[in-house]
Amino acid sequence: MSAIARWLGDRLPVSGQRFRELTNEPVPYHLKRWWFALGGTPAYLFIVQIGTGILLAFYYEASPSAAYDSVASITRDVSFGWYIRSLHKWAATLMIVAVILHQIRVFFTGAYRKPREINWIVGMCLLFCTLMTGFTGYSLVYEQLSYWGATVGANITATVPLVGEFLKRMMLAGDAYNQATLSRFFVLHAAVLPVTIILLLGVHITIIRLQGVTEFRFKDEDSGIPKTFNFFPDHLYTELIIGLVLMVLLSALATILPATLGPAANPLQTPDVIKPEWFFYVAFRWLKLFSGTAAVLSMGFIAFVMFAWPFIDAWIRKHTRFQEASVWIGIVGVLAIVGMTVWEALVRH
Amino acid sequence: MTLEAKRYIIAALGTLFLLSLVLVQWMETARKAEEAGLRPPHVTVPAESRECVECHAEENPGIVAHWEGSTHAEKGVGCLECHAATLEEADSYLHHGAQIATIVTPRDCSRCHDGEAAEFAQSHHSSAGNILASLDNFLAETVEGARFTFNPHSPTPGKAVSAVNGFASAASGCQQCHGAKVALEGRDGTRITVDDLEPDADGRPTNLDAVSRIVRDENGRPQLVAATWPNTGIGRLNLDGTRGSCAACHSRHDFSPRRARQPENCGKCHLGPDHPQKEVYEESKHGIAYRDLRDQMNLDAPNWVLGDDYAAAPTCATCHMSGNIRNGGVVTHDPGERISWTNRPPVSLVMDTDLSHRIVTETDPETRRSLIHDTAEQKRDRMKDVCSHCHTDDYVNKFYRQYDDLVVLYNEKFAKPGIAIMAALLEHDLRTATEFDEEIEWTWFYLWHHEGRRARHGASMMAPDYTHWHGMYEVAERFYMELIPQAREIARHARETGKAPAATAVERVVDGILTRPEHQWFEEGAEGQAERIRQEMERRYGRGQ
Repeated sequence: MSAIARWLGDRLPVSGQRFRELTNEPVPYHLKRWWFALGGTPAYLFIVQIGTGILLAFYYEASPSAAYDSVASITRDVSFGWYIRSLHKWAATLMIVAVILHQIRVFFTGAYRKPREINWIVGMCLLFCTLMTGFTGYSLVYEQLSYWGATVGANITATVPLVGEFLKRMMLAGDAYNQATLSRFFVLHAAVLPVTIILLLGVHITIIRLQGVTEFRFKDEDSGIPKTFNFFPDHLYTELIIGLVLMVLLSALATILPATLGPAANPLQTPDVIKPEWFFYVAFRWLKLFSGTAAVLSMGFIAFVMFAWPFIDAWIRKHTRFQEASVWIGIVGVLAIVGMTVWEALVRH
Repeated sequence: MTLEAKRYIIAALGTLFLLSLVLVQWMETARKAEEAGLRPPHVTVPAESRECVECHAEENPGIVAHWEGSTHAEKGVGCLECHAATLEEADSYLHHGAQIATIVTPRDCSRCHDGEAAEFAQSHHSSAGNILASLDNFLAETVEGARFTFNPHSPTPGKAVSAVNGFASAASGCQQCHGAKVALEGRDGTRITVDDLEPDADGRPTNLDAVSRIVRDENGRPQLVAATWPNTGIGRLNLDGTRGSCAACHSRHDFSPRRARQPENCGKCHLGPDHPQKEVYEESKHGIAYRDLRDQMNLDAPNWVLGDDYAAAPTCATCHMSGNIRNGGVVTHDPGERISWTNRPPVSLVMDTDLSHRIVTETDPETRRSLIHDTAEQKRDRMKDVCSHCHTDDYVNKFYRQYDDLVVLYNEKFAKPGIAIMAALLEHDLRTATEFDEEIEWTWFYLWHHEGRRARHGASMMAPDYTHWHGMYEVAERFYMELIPQAREIARHARETGKAPAATAVERVVDGILTRPEHQWFEEGAEGQAERIRQEMERRYGRGQ
């Protein structure tokens, strides 16, 4: 072993000691609590998505005439195709859940405050990239609901003042869904968005490493306990356990509730009920509550507030006496999101 | 948590994950084995149907065996899901604790297959039972049989025959394809049908007096009239007001999609001298390819979409009903959706249809346009979607040109003249209004109903022998050698018996037809053409001795 290490050491300018130091950074003690160790979950699920996505791309054909059939073939004919597709679908669902939960935790613990504002914005970008990946991925199936979901999505985009029509044309590769639309979605889904997510994740983790993880102390904690513990192997084991629980959960979901396939897209027949994927229910409900442009503008405003929240929160804390305003605003926000999602899920139209 | 504890948890979870992969491998192997037919599909017997299955496995093992091979059995659709009935339904009865009806109607099937039932309900198939006023029915019930029961005229050794059922030919013939009007026995000896029960929108009878007259056996089971059931005719007139029988094509109790996709399934009715669609298909390149490549037809595929699941050959279902990749795999249960000519009547009609799916016969262009809901061209385009999987647009368009030309030739040269001659004879009282009591009526019936249809069906499905030798050749022979001479003979006889004006009128119609350019050869001769044929025959085979 040492001979191999020596051989490598002679050729690579990396010191084993330095590498151990880099990977074995002391971890804040609060990460012993499981709830705080979930930040790596979306990243883990993202790796699952890359792996299963590559396997699916071997068989997927991104054209309106072949897309649905290729998905059907993956589900029906390809060995383990149904399993890989189901893993991909459930990992996507869990990844979005994990990103949202991670963000809620960061929000309520105030972990976005100075000096971590930039990382919050990077996290917001990751959230939007994840949602966009979900949207483009579902569109690739080219079943009735995914086709019409994409069409409705494009029409909603068109209501954005000034640039709406341009964005819609960019999205659909023309004025309406056409031969080139699917390949555009495919490139976004399988190349542009994953690469963006990888870059953003790199920045996200680098900033965490530079700034260190926010440290928390709990009232019931013994003041004598150490402030940190070792990353290796203690925290790595924790992450491994989370990863294995996720893998078992994904495998169970994929076998018990495998991904289904609705009727093929028919551009000439609008379905009675059009619904997007569950993670857009809140936006869909919002659009139904307000008229087109007003709904889109207000959503844009909410997105802006979410991005700028560290600065808004700092202003509130500095200029008002409401030091914990963010907690109450967060509670209202979460309840509104959950409420509108459930509302949309329960109604037919 | 200690590091030791974490290691144990990791080991346990790792094992669990590996076991889940073993389970996935097992599921995959089982799936492949089932697809390859190496393992019988899993059968789920719903709790409510368990007693039915156990008892009928003894009493009628074939029924249960067929059902066990069905998709219904795989998906847990048992006996009661289809046979369950409400107390109000006229033909329902309590059977070992379950309220059921023997006959399953499209209303029952629509509980799960509502789209298919709706498509079928608007199809021509569903109205096939409306043959009471048709020539075919007159043939079966009057000419072949009798519209009553009559006494036998001599004994039948070995069999006590007390009465002859005049409807027997209609019941065992016409109605087995077209569908019977299902009847229950009434206490007063009458039959109780949908007309008496007057069912509401949900199929429940509103005439309770009729319900009270239904004859039931000692177990309370209503008695179906034997002449009307068993019957799975495609336009069966059911007691609940629905029309049709899904089992006409989806044979009970396995409801095999595989069978419904094969031409033999349609061949129960679409064959014979008057509409030999199955024979026509078998003679065509389509049928030849099907026979040769049947094992490449993927007949067990779940969706069976042309261009996706198979492309070896088309069957009846392929062209008239099944999905293809051009139409997004959409199946229709209305075969008329892709047919552009109706070749059923004496003169073929263009299949422009109104909202009720009836053919528009209006001739005023403006009114006609306003009435048409689905044009023949739209129907033809749907069929072209199918054709274009294997043929270029030019090929398909020129085939349709050949087909149109043949239909129009038949219509103009023989059908319309035939109608004119028959109408003239009737108008001038030189034949009776009763069909089939005079020779010329049989002649005309053979011409359009048998030979004329054969020619048109042959052209529609690329069967040259049916188009020509079994079709137009026989139409021409029947027209020139029988219909024309018989019409002239009737006119001659009329003149001799003092009906000169009538005779003149009919002769004028016949002469008018025969002086048309396409008929002139018959009386004026075609000597030049005959000489050219004689010379060609001598060149090929030498001068005759």
